[in-house]
Amino acid sequence: MSANSSPSITLRPFRLTDAPDMMLWAGDDQVTRTLRWKTLTSIEEALTFIEEVCIPHPWRRSICIDDRSIGFVSIFQGSGEDRRKADIGYAIAAKYWGQGITTKVVKIAVSNVFIDLPDVVRLQAFVYVDNLASQRVLEKIGFMKEGLLRKYAYIKGNIRDLLVYSILSTDAIPGTS
Amino acid sequence: MEKIQAKPDKKEIDGDYSNVSLRPLDPSDVDDVMVWVTDDKVSKYCSWDTYTSKDEAMNLIVDVIVPHPWFRAICLKGRPIGAILVKPNKGNESCRAEVGYHLASKYWGKGIATRAVKLVASTIFIEWPHLERLEALVDVDNMGSQRVLEKVGFKKEGVLRKYYLLKRRPIDMVMFSLLSSDPQFEISNELYRA
Repeated sequence: MSANSSPSITLRPFRLTDAPDMMLWAGDDQVTRTLRWKTLTSIEEALTFIEEVCIPHPWRRSICIDDRSIGFVSIFQGSGEDRRKADIGYAIAAKYWGQGITTKVVKIAVSNVFIDLPDVVRLQAFVYVDNLASQRVLEKIGFMKEGLLRKYAYIKGNIRDLLVYSILSTDAIPGTS
Repeated sequence: MEKIQAKPDKKEIDGDYSNVSLRPLDPSDVDDVMVWVTDDKVSKYCSWDTYTSKDEAMNLIVDVIVPHPWFRAICLKGRPIGAILVKPNKGNESCRAEVGYHLASKYWGKGIATRAVKLVASTIFIEWPHLERLEALVDVDNMGSQRVLEKVGFKKEGVLRKYYLLKRRPIDMVMFSLLSSDPQFEISNELYRA
């Protein structure tokens, strides 16, 4: 391997062997603050979480650098009449914040989703008002901010205002053909 | 959904349209229900197709309306002329519920839907103490219904693009909300007149 090769950033399904790496980001309160997930507290918990939630999930990918897990992207498609809508969620280890990695991988995930789930016409994201970094990721990818939904849902027991963003299958994604 | 028409002649405003009340529906109301479910103007913005028979209307009452968690007839002088319903949510979404309504087209433009929505807004937070947010989603083209919600004091939060499949077409919808903590509008005594 050349000493000058840049790390390869990929998206792939989770594996049980990701558990120790997963603890580095899913075990970090800073990272889970903006998620519905509770911070993981042990490798055993991580193993159970990967086996029971991440692997069976219809669309969840590990964000990897040189095949090591540093975060995730998930798509939750609605069921029945709601299957034309899907929610996107993502997080990345604090060590990798501010480097454009999240924007890059989430942009790839969005393009993949419209191919993998052809029923989906609307991909939406719900973001905390104070999570400016995530809002910037969405805007750079081409999501449109639609509004602030007041007292919309409980997250980890607290009622929260949420900004709603969306990208449509018919929207052009900046920087792609 | 109610549509505001151009200003009616003064001589058309002869009735008392302020005597609006809400009550549950039962199978004996089927003839009144037929009036609005067979009206294309009413079904246009609703998820259902215009009804064509009394049997269908009876099935609607028995299978959908009676078992619904919160479904009321909008009555004018005690007679059902439309419907208003509130759909609750579970778990992490139990803080919010969605209100929907429709009215026989003959009664559009008289402030009836506004009164009905105000009645719901004034009681639902008391009936459901866990409720914090009453929301409504309206087709971007349905200006009349948007004005009803604004008059009641709902806040327009934004347009959700291709949010809902209305008769197999994805449509943009305006999201409105009223919070239990929003400044309460004044409920005038005339709303309670028998």
